[in-house]
Amino acid sequence: MTDEVQAHAQAASGPRHLAADDVGIVRPRDFTYLGKFTFKSGQEIQGFTLRYETYGTLNATRDNAVLVCHALSGDHHCAGWHSETDAKPGWWNNLIGPGKAVDTRRFFVVCVNVLGGCQGSTGPSSVDPATGQAYGTRFPFVTIRDMVMAQKLLLDHLGVSELHAVMGGSMGGMTAMLFAIEFPIFTRRQIILASTSNESAQAIAFNEVGRQAIMQDPAWNNGDYPREGGPRVGLAIARMMAHITYLSDAGMDRKFGRRKRESAGGEAYTFDAQFEVESYLRHQGQSFINRFDANSYLYITRAIDQFDPARAYGSLEKAFSPVQAESLVVGFTSDWLFPPEQNREIALALLRAGKRASYAELDTDLGHDSFLLESAELYNLIRGSLERPEAYQVDFAI
Amino acid sequence: MTKQIEKRTVDMTVIGEWVEPQSRILDLGCGRGELMAYLVQAKQVSATGVDLDFARISACVGRGLSAYQGDMNDFMKAFPDRHFDRIICSRTVHELNDPAGVILEALRVGSTVTVGFVNHGFWKNRVDALFRGQKVRNAVYTTAWHESRPANPLTIEDFEAFCREKSIRVARRAHLLGDWRTPCPAMPNLLAGYALYDLARD
Repeated sequence: MTDEVQAHAQAASGPRHLAADDVGIVRPRDFTYLGKFTFKSGQEIQGFTLRYETYGTLNATRDNAVLVCHALSGDHHCAGWHSETDAKPGWWNNLIGPGKAVDTRRFFVVCVNVLGGCQGSTGPSSVDPATGQAYGTRFPFVTIRDMVMAQKLLLDHLGVSELHAVMGGSMGGMTAMLFAIEFPIFTRRQIILASTSNESAQAIAFNEVGRQAIMQDPAWNNGDYPREGGPRVGLAIARMMAHITYLSDAGMDRKFGRRKRESAGGEAYTFDAQFEVESYLRHQGQSFINRFDANSYLYITRAIDQFDPARAYGSLEKAFSPVQAESLVVGFTSDWLFPPEQNREIALALLRAGKRASYAELDTDLGHDSFLLESAELYNLIRGSLERPEAYQVDFAI
Repeated sequence: MTKQIEKRTVDMTVIGEWVEPQSRILDLGCGRGELMAYLVQAKQVSATGVDLDFARISACVGRGLSAYQGDMNDFMKAFPDRHFDRIICSRTVHELNDPAGVILEALRVGSTVTVGFVNHGFWKNRVDALFRGQKVRNAVYTTAWHESRPANPLTIEDFEAFCREKSIRVARRAHLLGDWRTPCPAMPNLLAGYALYDLARD
């Protein structure tokens, strides 16, 4: 996700955390699992920590939980503010809050930093209790399934008896999909946005260039680097490139065009950033290295590349055969990373498997990041999917 | 209650009588899901709709119905033979780019295909055209040519000829008078305002 979309959310003046439809100041929590956790690869760790946030209240029947799943560079902080002086709110603050599309007056919203991440959950930058050193590349390979299994342990800990819904965009959509497959009775609804059931060669290729930028940086040192150091150049380049894949040609043109920075000389023959788009990408790369771990970037992009339930279960229809959830899949016309066809295919496979599934498509020029769009249409769609009563009775007394 | 809403419910009643309980239905041009919602409630069907418009799909989702935003032919191509028990094409057929293609594809993907359409051979439409000398306007087609969607008006005779030409078996037909309620006793192409067909492949 781009920081730009987030920044937009706080454009209005005044202390936004006091707004009636804002969850306000929120505090992340840590869940520590002490048992042995076996990854899909067969590798094990002795316990792990997941950092998470919750908004709203779990009801008496413990079935009003909505699990929100983040994308590659996202985290557990999807709504509200961490302090009164916080520069920006959680990454899906426009969608989640009292009276918003994901209404925290009705739902108990849970969002978890994934296993393998670097925002407080156990990952490659965590200290291996066996050695007293950071795991680095000794951390077990993480799959989307491992992320799902770890999050299920947290939901059990919180006492959630069933998920009213699981939802997410991009990698978050993959996580939602696997929740519905692995825990069919537990998962009542899934909402998948701008996602895919298996990445195209092009998407894998972009991830590989990002990984190479990191691994070719001498400071990567095979994954062994000090906490504040590491392959900062490589990670920044990986982010700059990935950032382009989250936008669209038209969107970038609308936003930057060929505009030059005011400080740039007219026809100066220099490689300093002259175009606005250049300085924007440089800024994106620089801000990313201050909040993200390079090894986590390798692990999580690998998990996304490997995600392929059709291959794991024989076909996508077979993968979806246990699903009980009502499914909503949303594609975005300008998303060329996980394009509409790949989102359509998820809905079509669910329908071929005899499941209840819907597909809707929004016309936007924001590219892959469109799922974070501030759009009344998107809000209505998601609200409709979440809020309609279980057994719908139609009144035909027109 | 407007006349159109009244007529829509009549359409629902006839299709509702033909639909087998608990069957798997596909509604082509499902709109906001009124027909599907009725069939789910009255016949406990499992229904899926297809429509091009986001707002209509969103309305279906809000009613708990499965709906797919996209082209109906592309949608049907993604399914194996006879995946659906019944495919319904209610007041949609005159707006299709390739009506024959859609109906034939529906006959592959569905065991039965229900087509409902306004009969433009209905005498009032003929009189209207004869005396006004302009595009037919009636209770259903209320707009002038320049404010309408492209439409391909058809008559019962046109549709019967199409079925003969394509060797499509008509398993059942319902011709209703101008009130869309009373069965038409004779000369349907002249006297029926609305027609419903159940089609099967020979």
